[in-house]
Amino acid sequence: MSLARRERRFAFALLAPALLVLVLTTTAPLFYLAWNALHRIDLSMPWMSGFVGVQNFAKMGDDPRFWNSLWLTLVYTSCTVVAQVAVGLSLALLVLQIPKGQAVLRVGAILPIVLAPVVVGLFWRTLVLAPDVGLVDMATRALGLGSHNWLGDPQLALLSVIAIHTWQWTPFAFLVLLATLATLPPDVYEAARLDRASAWQRFVHITLPLIRPAIMMVVIMRMMTALSAFAAIFAATGGGPGSATEILNLYAYRTSFTELNLGYGASLAMVLLGITLAVSFFMFRLRRKAP
Amino acid sequence: MTRRFGLRAAGLWVVAGLLVSVWVFPVLWGLLTSFKTERDVLAYPPLFVFEPTLANYREVLFGTSTILPNLLSSMIVASGSTLLTLLIAVPAAYGLARLRFPGRKATGFYVLATQMLPPVGLIIPYYLVMQKAGLLDTYTGLITIYLTFSLPFAVWLMVSYFEDVPYEMEEAALLDRAGRLRTLWYVILPQVRGGIAVTTVFVFLNAWNEFLFAVVLGGNKVRPVTVAMFNFISVEQTQWARLAAGAMLAMAPVIVIGLAAQRHIVKGLTVGAVKGGGRR
Repeated sequence: MSLARRERRFAFALLAPALLVLVLTTTAPLFYLAWNALHRIDLSMPWMSGFVGVQNFAKMGDDPRFWNSLWLTLVYTSCTVVAQVAVGLSLALLVLQIPKGQAVLRVGAILPIVLAPVVVGLFWRTLVLAPDVGLVDMATRALGLGSHNWLGDPQLALLSVIAIHTWQWTPFAFLVLLATLATLPPDVYEAARLDRASAWQRFVHITLPLIRPAIMMVVIMRMMTALSAFAAIFAATGGGPGSATEILNLYAYRTSFTELNLGYGASLAMVLLGITLAVSFFMFRLRRKAP
Repeated sequence: MTRRFGLRAAGLWVVAGLLVSVWVFPVLWGLLTSFKTERDVLAYPPLFVFEPTLANYREVLFGTSTILPNLLSSMIVASGSTLLTLLIAVPAAYGLARLRFPGRKATGFYVLATQMLPPVGLIIPYYLVMQKAGLLDTYTGLITIYLTFSLPFAVWLMVSYFEDVPYEMEEAALLDRAGRLRTLWYVILPQVRGGIAVTTVFVFLNAWNEFLFAVVLGGNKVRPVTVAMFNFISVEQTQWARLAAGAMLAMAPVIVIGLAAQRHIVKGLTVGAVKGGGRR
């Protein structure tokens, strides 16, 4: 047996278990999901179940709750990602200037990342945002801004869940960008300084282009997390009040497992999948086009 | 000059410290709260000095709302899925990183793509199939399902570590007719021990923290601690000190592991970002 052929066989043996598991637990369920999306599966009225074609998708057209959830997904994803990158990058640039003790700050930043999102959601709902006794509410009261129903008021609730997500995941952007900044060659900056480039010019013309790939990577990864965000919102507001924080994820979940309408839930999940794929395709293309 | 520099550094430190404390303080506040009586929790202005009590911990450990069984549940699910993930992911990653075979690129892309499926979408087919197969509320079921998100991630993380091993080592061993499997076991694996440790930490943390699959596919028998915490608040609405104690216990393992593996976590997070720029 030739060497190349033996290598192929060995590769197959090593990869087969992983591929088998992935096909069974991701690809096959995906097809089953698509199939379910063409059915009416109503666990509360099982006798009504059956094939309905694209009816579920047609129904979305005049389902205001769907359009609302789509809009909220857009707002939630863009706000959290922009905030994470902006705060994370600023903080990384700041910490980079500190000669000693960066490690302490890094340890502090690790903390939110390792916590379970559901626990973070519960924590914020009780100890941080609860009217009268929550940390934020006590702070606004002390500042004379008054007490607010942070998770009960529809507009504040959206702001609150965005804040929760940003709080938990900004350290990711911060740590990754800090590590990237630390690898930049110092001699480029030396040259720029000799050319009397201002700090801002150095940032825009040297730092930013050099860390662009890392920023893109952070944006892509953060978008994927934001698009599949569930537990923190579920724990903090459950999608409410009403449907004020019901991003597409939560709408699909509530439709499937609260209203037991699995067929429509599956079609909503298909839309979510479509959005995720479109976004990642677009982002990866954008990244490849990088100068 | 040095004096000015010192002042500047101190100023930067204060600003950065304040920002980082935004992340640390809520968790410390939770820790404080877990030692308070329910009455002290509601005090305004907030109490920093108070008579600490262990009653909350006693209650969540041995009282009626004990989370001990849930901690055990989480431990079984998280360690089981971590072990299984490593067993499957490490060989696969080596194959993807080092061996030549037709369709290597496509296979790598497939593994990456499976990571993008939204969990909310997968949960519906899982529920329907597992209900028919009688796998709801079983350890087998949940551990298998956890592979869906841990496996692609673990494979890609390990690929990046295998790529760092110098080719020469492998070639030397192969020339000695050591055989592919023995080369992998005795020569390559010791080189990626660090990578395996990082992967273990990440996979374990993700499995421990998982909520969506656990709440839908678990039940009375298999109820990880994340689900227990969620149920806690609907049962014990205003018992926040108790909730804080429960949350601290539930998160103690991941906080300890996270802080202990701090260096590796930063590396694990950056593997994709730093290298990602050059690859593809």
